[in-house]
Amino acid sequence: MGIEVEQGAVRAGRVGASSGSENGGLTRGQKFQFALLVLALFVAVPILLGHSPYFITVLTNAAILSFISLGVWITFSIGRMNLAQGAFALVGGYASAILATRYGVSFWLCLPLSGLVSSALGALIGWPVLRLKGVYFAMTTLSLTEAIRLLALNGGDLTKGATGIVNIPRPGAIKIFGLTIVPEFNGADPLPFYFLACVLLVLGLVGVWRLSTSRLGWVFRSLRQNEDLATSIGINVAKYRVIAFAVCCFMGGIGGAFFSVFHQNIYPATYTIADSVNFMLYCFLGGLSYIFGPVVGAFLLVIAFELLHAVQDYQALIYGVLMIVCMLWLPNGILSLGLRHVSKGKG
Amino acid sequence: MTVALLDVQGITKRFGGLTAVNSVSFSVEKGAILSVIGPNGAGKSTLFKLISSFVVPTSGRVSFDGQTITGLPAHEVARRGVVRTFQETTIFKEMTALQNVIVAHQLRSRASSFGVYFSSVTARADEERFRKSASEILDYLGLGAVKQMVARNLPHGHLRALGIAVAMAAEPKVLLLDEPFSGMNIEETEAAVKLVRGIRDRGVTVVLVEHDMSAVMRISDRIVVLNFGTKIAEGTPLEVQQNEAVIGAYLGQADEEVGH
Amino acid sequence: MEQVLINGVVLAVNYALIALGITLIFSIMNILNFAHGQMFMIGGFVVYYLYGIFKINYFVSLLAVVIVLGAIGWSFETFFFRRMRRMATREENSMLLAVGTALLLENLALSIFGEKQRGVPPVVTGVFRIGTAYLPAGRLLVMVLALVLIIGLLLFVQYTKLGRAMRALAQDREVTHLMGVNVDRVAAYGFALGAALAGLAGGLLVTVFGVNSGVGNVYSIKAFIMIMIGGAGVVPGAILGAIVLGFVEAIGYALLPGSITYLLIFTGLIIFLLLRPQGLLGKPWG
Repeated sequence: MGIEVEQGAVRAGRVGASSGSENGGLTRGQKFQFALLVLALFVAVPILLGHSPYFITVLTNAAILSFISLGVWITFSIGRMNLAQGAFALVGGYASAILATRYGVSFWLCLPLSGLVSSALGALIGWPVLRLKGVYFAMTTLSLTEAIRLLALNGGDLTKGATGIVNIPRPGAIKIFGLTIVPEFNGADPLPFYFLACVLLVLGLVGVWRLSTSRLGWVFRSLRQNEDLATSIGINVAKYRVIAFAVCCFMGGIGGAFFSVFHQNIYPATYTIADSVNFMLYCFLGGLSYIFGPVVGAFLLVIAFELLHAVQDYQALIYGVLMIVCMLWLPNGILSLGLRHVSKGKG
Repeated sequence: MTVALLDVQGITKRFGGLTAVNSVSFSVEKGAILSVIGPNGAGKSTLFKLISSFVVPTSGRVSFDGQTITGLPAHEVARRGVVRTFQETTIFKEMTALQNVIVAHQLRSRASSFGVYFSSVTARADEERFRKSASEILDYLGLGAVKQMVARNLPHGHLRALGIAVAMAAEPKVLLLDEPFSGMNIEETEAAVKLVRGIRDRGVTVVLVEHDMSAVMRISDRIVVLNFGTKIAEGTPLEVQQNEAVIGAYLGQADEEVGH
Repeated sequence: MEQVLINGVVLAVNYALIALGITLIFSIMNILNFAHGQMFMIGGFVVYYLYGIFKINYFVSLLAVVIVLGAIGWSFETFFFRRMRRMATREENSMLLAVGTALLLENLALSIFGEKQRGVPPVVTGVFRIGTAYLPAGRLLVMVLALVLIIGLLLFVQYTKLGRAMRALAQDREVTHLMGVNVDRVAAYGFALGAALAGLAGGLLVTVFGVNSGVGNVYSIKAFIMIMIGGAGVVPGAILGAIVLGFVEAIGYALLPGSITYLLIFTGLIIFLLLRPQGLLGKPWG
């Protein structure tokens, strides 16, 4: 017996069985955490690490990888293991690259457009593929990552095959009525990209958080916990699955667009199966029940990977071992450690 | 002359070489309680799945409120008012009882998805309505004390009631109850019988599949008997009890259980 | 035309070895071995080092493959997956663990073997002519060996005590346990066997295609495609999937430039799955 009241859960920004206010408001604990994150990202880091382009770049990568992983988190929330996010990041990256280099579209338009392109493709492919579950869905999405890579490789003049698209222009300035709201991104300074990445991450977190705590989030949860029951109460399971997947792909596309501009290039091999797997791992490591999960997972693993730089040759190997250790000893993710009253495997 | 709310016409389902349901026809009047009984394997559960569109019939037609619902997707059938419950205890395990029932109000939403996302006035009004309604339904079904309990931890008997609560939240016009009395002792069955009558009194037409003969005889207005997928009898409890084909089908089991 | 057929047969038989391995593991333990391709790759490297570098007899090196991969498979089950099962966590966790093992083997191989493409000298020389087609003796050997192994496996599963225990486990875990079978032990042997099959396929194909440490994911995907086509968890499905993939590849590579073949395979696969999600012979999942 025992009524489960998850007070501790609230503190980690957890959205699950009974957390926070059911009407979507933030509890004080969650507000505090979020404010802390924003403060750290926008103030502490630039002050403490602004002198080092290396660290700023690492954190920029972590931020956008978290953003992309948040998308995968959404598909987890409807009960699917999505190994295709690499594909949609690639699609977004190419969409942005093609729009910018071929048609001279400003980055600030490319960004949302890439998201939409990925999202549309995701909805199209997702509609049939989401009928699959479990390992079948995982296998199919894994194959999708490969398939999109091949598509890019054989895209003829549009994608320029193996050579990829290079010299993608950096974001220009945003001017309204002659006033420069956002300055042009110049090559030497990684900070503008960093700030953009943080803005995207914060927007992503807020967006996904809102999704998860709204009734849409509960519909998604009902899909994960019992699709048949959801159908019997009138929920159009197929439709909501596609919506979740489309949002996921949207975030993948935007992330891919960001990176293509950040690195100023995109190749078919930019996102491989390993990347699709990583996005999933970030979610998992942080904790699938927690919205902050992907963020914590991505930041921890990206930073850890960089720290292992010293062990150069064995970097990837230690990485792999770490993965397994985490899976076996922390199956509910890192964030589940900080909580006292929580029972296992919720979300 | 009462109108048939649910009309099943010649519904048939074949799986490969096996005919699970063979041209079954019956109709259910508005406000009635109709039970479908039959020995194990008679096709009762399949019949339910056919009516609620969870399984596509090989042939035949089901109409609800004058309109054909065969061929519609299952969630659409539920939207129209034909809601089924499940034999295995099927609930959203990781949500509390209250959340289970609130989610089930999805059909009654007045706000658009957009509004829901941005927490519009309509959306918030919806949520308030749902919470009140869910609370009331849970109280009515005797689950008032365990509203905040996570469904996974509820005792078995409560799970069944929760399943009904969830179905009720979807505002059914016809409720298909799949073995609501199974595994219950005499007191529990008595309470459940009262419950089903109460549901009917709230204006819901009830069709149930059941094994427990005494409950079925007490509660039903009409009974349909299936054996090996075919309807072998239909009528009032009294008529069915005396029907030779029915007695034969149960091979004496009916003799012991009928007429408690 | 005949060349395509010959190529198809050679590929199909070897792919069947891969498909059977992953099917075995999936049917016994309900785990999709994401590391299957990496195991294939390691098999190739074992042969590369023993036969290619140390000039040890080819068949002895194949035996070594069985021992090495068998040990790896056995360890995975005993130290990783068994523990995961005891923990009774979310369903996704086992899958994620499998992905983790793939990552582990991949990076291990990269660290130990490096990135370069490796090849081995042919085991037998000479070329046969069949009609208008050429069949190098090496490929014929590999095909025959694969066939022998497949038949051996089918006999093993059908007639030996351990093989029957594995089949029983695949059917119903609970009942098998109640019958007194040491489920943990059988599962460990099952994983070892599945891994060994993958490794053997790698050891055979290294004589034809060579090997490099990046080839793991490629072959994992081939394995996935085969069981998605044929139906996961069923032996005839695995064989059917291998036949389909083998011939489609042979035809594709003969007619189309490079990577377009697989692009079409993927597109075809997705369309196929829309119509028949459980594969040709698979049980309806659910």
